[in-house]
Amino acid sequence: MKDLKHFWQRAAWLRHLLIGVGVVLVYGWALRGLQVDLELLKTSVPYVVDFISRLFPPDWSVLDVAVKALVETVQMSLWGTTIGAILSVPIAVLSARNLAPRWVQLLANLLQNLVRSVPSIVLGLLFVAATGLGAPAGTLALSIYTIGYLAKFYQEAIESVDGRSLEALEVSGASWLQVAQYGILPQILPLSLGYTLYMFEYNIRAASVLGVVGAGGIGFELVSYIRGFEYPKATTMMLVLLVVVTAIDALSSHLRRRLEAE
Amino acid sequence: MQESSSQGAAIVCQNLQTAYLAALHRPILNRVDFTIQNGEFVTLLGLNGAGKSTLLRSLVGLVPIHQGSVTIAGVSLSPRTLPQVRQKMGMLFQGGGLIPQLSAVDNVLCGRLGQLPSWRTLAGFPKPDRRRALELLEDLGLRELAYQKTSRLSGGQQQRVAIARALMQSPQILLVDEPIAGLDVLATQQVMDTLAQLNRDGITIVAVLHELAIATQYAERAIVLDQGKVVHDGSPHRLSAHFQMQT
Repeated sequence: MKDLKHFWQRAAWLRHLLIGVGVVLVYGWALRGLQVDLELLKTSVPYVVDFISRLFPPDWSVLDVAVKALVETVQMSLWGTTIGAILSVPIAVLSARNLAPRWVQLLANLLQNLVRSVPSIVLGLLFVAATGLGAPAGTLALSIYTIGYLAKFYQEAIESVDGRSLEALEVSGASWLQVAQYGILPQILPLSLGYTLYMFEYNIRAASVLGVVGAGGIGFELVSYIRGFEYPKATTMMLVLLVVVTAIDALSSHLRRRLEAE
Repeated sequence: MQESSSQGAAIVCQNLQTAYLAALHRPILNRVDFTIQNGEFVTLLGLNGAGKSTLLRSLVGLVPIHQGSVTIAGVSLSPRTLPQVRQKMGMLFQGGGLIPQLSAVDNVLCGRLGQLPSWRTLAGFPKPDRRRALELLEDLGLRELAYQKTSRLSGGQQQRVAIARALMQSPQILLVDEPIAGLDVLATQQVMDTLAQLNRDGITIVAVLHELAIATQYAERAIVLDQGKVVHDGSPHRLSAHFQMQT
């Protein structure tokens, strides 16, 4: 048994070969599950080309509708991200290895996993049923969706805080609140703000998807035009979304770089 | 072992033992006995894993004591007396243990947290404390860097900020864990000279050091640990001849 273990530790080539075979088998299994018909793929190309060609040229007559819907999407994302970020803080603190007792961590992590495993579209449907069609449902769905991710990001930021710096404050006699204010907060703030900005940017895209179930935003208009076969109008919506997402991505990347440099 | 009385003692360790560590097949500290008098400059020496840092950490309640007792300035260390004991001691962690995102002066002010209630520090520190922090930085030659983030300071400057933070507590005893690790010759001398000056001002210094030459130059007494036990307690001079060890 010991010889076998020794051989296994030394035979790196065999380990790599077996890992390679394992990866190929997993991908093969996944492809088989997809039941991809290569023949069908080949014949479907003209249909895809036809669909794309019908998207152009964009119909700029709906530009004002697009801008209005987009503003609503940004508003939804702003409030959804903010509410989600605020609710994520206590969950992150209770999930952090270096702050909470083990049993509290387990419960808080379970809550995080529970929230994360619900797709945003299901949250959208849930809040549409509760508050009716429109932006409020989308905003609430986004805020819950945000918790699933920001709580995890904040938790990791808290866990990466230098333990010695906290011990130094503890030894000086600082209270738990003082350690949190002067030790933890300054160390996690730049990283957490960066994550929050990223989430805001991501939520603009997520808000567009929520529109499909009637939870407000540009997605609602987009799906309406596609369902009505008004593809050039749908293209205008997508182009406006592209411009705004690109602009916000550039702005948030710039801000995140500045925060990281701090 | 050095003969000493516990009258006027800064630190008295009797039969100090930490919890058993399965990986080492022994407690990290194993029946440690010593007395450090007020105003002494003592260095803790020993190989890696000998228990030097654990000993310092156990003196401030960061490592639970399994057996034996620790008395700091006449107060027996227990969970109940820990806040009182910590008021008498400052500790310098390896690498400084500073908050990199805060300025030097804000880091120094953190040394006052134990003496101020949480509600008073919610919106910052009182002006007299801020003045005192700036004075300490000036004394340590860092006045111009007071508002610089500590992450932008050199290793030696960071250690001096950490010293200033410990001094904000006006400690009677300063515990120092490897204060010159990673510092160049000049920074090493600045940090050690500062500690020597504090000792001349009456503060008891207990420093974990790795360089025997530095220990011999600055400390008046060396406690050598090996596998969690005190194997030498006395003058640091001619230690290498005694132990043939590379500390």
